Amino acid sequence: MKRRHLLAAFASLAACRRSLKPRLNVFNWSDYAARDTVPAFERRHGVELRYAVYESNEEMLAKVFSGNSGWDIVFPASSLIGPMRENGLLSPIDRSQLPNLANLDPRFRHPPWDPQLEWCVPYMWGASGILYTRKLNPPPRRWADLWDPRLGGRITMLDDPPDAIGAALKKLGFPLNSTNPAELDAARAELLKQKPLVRAYLNAEARDQVVSGDLLAAQMWATTARQAMDAAPHLAFAYPEEGFSLYADCAVVLKESRRHELAHRFMNYLLEPETAAAVVTECLTATANAAAQRLLPPSLRDDPVLYPSPEVMNRGEWLQALPPAAQRLRDRIWTIVKSS
Amino acid sequence: MWTKVRFWTLAPSRLLMGLLFAAPLCIVAAYSLLTRGAYGGQSPPWTFESYARLLDPLYAAILFRSLWIAALSTALCLLLGFPLALFISRSAKRKNLYLQLVMLPFWTSFLVRTYAWMFLLRDTGLINTILQSLGLIREPLPLLYNEWAVVVGLVYGYLPFMVLPLFATLERIDPNLLEAAADLGARDTDTLFRIIVPLAMPGIVAGCVLVFIPCLGAYLTPDLLGGGKSMMAGNLVQNQFTNARDWPFGSAASLTLMAMVMLALAWLARRQKGDLL
Repeated sequence: MKRRHLLAAFASLAACRRSLKPRLNVFNWSDYAARDTVPAFERRHGVELRYAVYESNEEMLAKVFSGNSGWDIVFPASSLIGPMRENGLLSPIDRSQLPNLANLDPRFRHPPWDPQLEWCVPYMWGASGILYTRKLNPPPRRWADLWDPRLGGRITMLDDPPDAIGAALKKLGFPLNSTNPAELDAARAELLKQKPLVRAYLNAEARDQVVSGDLLAAQMWATTARQAMDAAPHLAFAYPEEGFSLYADCAVVLKESRRHELAHRFMNYLLEPETAAAVVTECLTATANAAAQRLLPPSLRDDPVLYPSPEVMNRGEWLQALPPAAQRLRDRIWTIVKSS
Repeated sequence: MWTKVRFWTLAPSRLLMGLLFAAPLCIVAAYSLLTRGAYGGQSPPWTFESYARLLDPLYAAILFRSLWIAALSTALCLLLGFPLALFISRSAKRKNLYLQLVMLPFWTSFLVRTYAWMFLLRDTGLINTILQSLGLIREPLPLLYNEWAVVVGLVYGYLPFMVLPLFATLERIDPNLLEAAADLGARDTDTLFRIIVPLAMPGIVAGCVLVFIPCLGAYLTPDLLGGGKSMMAGNLVQNQFTNARDWPFGSAASLTLMAMVMLALAWLARRQKGDLL
């Protein structure tokens, strides 16, 4: 009798631990979901969601590369879609299960990194530019202004090789994704020339220091800059005249996932205009969803930092995956710049 | 009988060391001999190419900077830690309290404490604000994002590793010896340098080793307080595993660093006639 009680107790314990609800595992960037995005999906479909966030592509890749990370959906940057597919990490998208794909902005229906959207669903996008304080007169308009001695010691560059090297390449009039050794060498010389003026190589941490006034200008991602401007009205953002980098974070289903149907249901949910609009309103990001953009309050919808005009967008260039030789050369350049 | 007991009592720690130390190290060693995939990952063929790349003078310069910063931080730790440890070992009643205070910083994460230093050192930080409001300076001093900030952060972070072994040896010194020295007419400086320091030598060596090695591999402090402007060996390894996605090269660099530290320790141990630590 006693033993039977014990067994029953174990059985109920086991039942508690493994709830019968199907569970989906979603690994996303921080700031990419509103407070109610996940709970609303759970309520509507009676499923459980394990949702966690990361801060860099590398952090996510290090886990996913093992092939048994336990995640179903992750959100890599557009330049990683090709490499991840070639490494056999992705499972193809079934478009018939995603009627809401029609809501995507036409620009994201046939993107260069996945023209038929066979492997990914564009979610949010962004660009790099210059966050600066309005005290600066004249205000910076070009990457070349970050080489101006009058800003000496009061600027930061991104601690991110494609963007920092990219700014030097654009300043020189070369393509952002250049693999040409001569062009890259010229970019290295530019970055070394700039280094005495650079206070530090920082990513999002630079935001607080522009707000506090420690810095006059910083190379920054547009959405991060927009969040800073929300806190500090004395800040402004410029899309450099020479051109700038563009990236999109896209939802993908991992090959290891065994919940394809549920994964597609979740992606279709993210593509609903109301879902995406709620995320943008709360997190101040730029959605790839045109129907959602129409739902936004005018102040956000017409925000020139989050949604620049077509003329500005024409200067943008998508970051691409580069061949190994160019990657190695760029890594060497970055090591030289940071250690000189 | 005793050998059997020894075998079984040591078995768990052997297993633990094997699983958690030796096995990962073997994996790193294997990675360092593989080839980087086109977009990260590692695969055959087996090659020494990653090690050959380390011969580039660029990496030697990074190593020398790391050695210099680690040596300077260790020296400063010794300079600050020795008087402190001596003071604690000579304080009768409050000894435990002082030791607790030395350990106190470990109650919070190193990352949080390093961020706290950023708030002290930056232009609008506490130090510059106070100096400016006292009228001592007009423009804020550039305290953050240079090599000195890195050294300050390392000294702060690893000082306890110097104080504790120093305290342990200083406390064991027989007070009668110091009395005898005084009776025989030794001045205080003589007592310090001819009695205390030689007797404390094992603690000095242990403290220096415990501070120098983590300083050499530091990557968080140079990144946060150095602003990523003076790359150290730890940053090189970290960058290979993240941005560059070149795990074979990162593995080769970290194993080479480790081999050099172990050779230096072996040399030190021989000089100390096996009395190290």
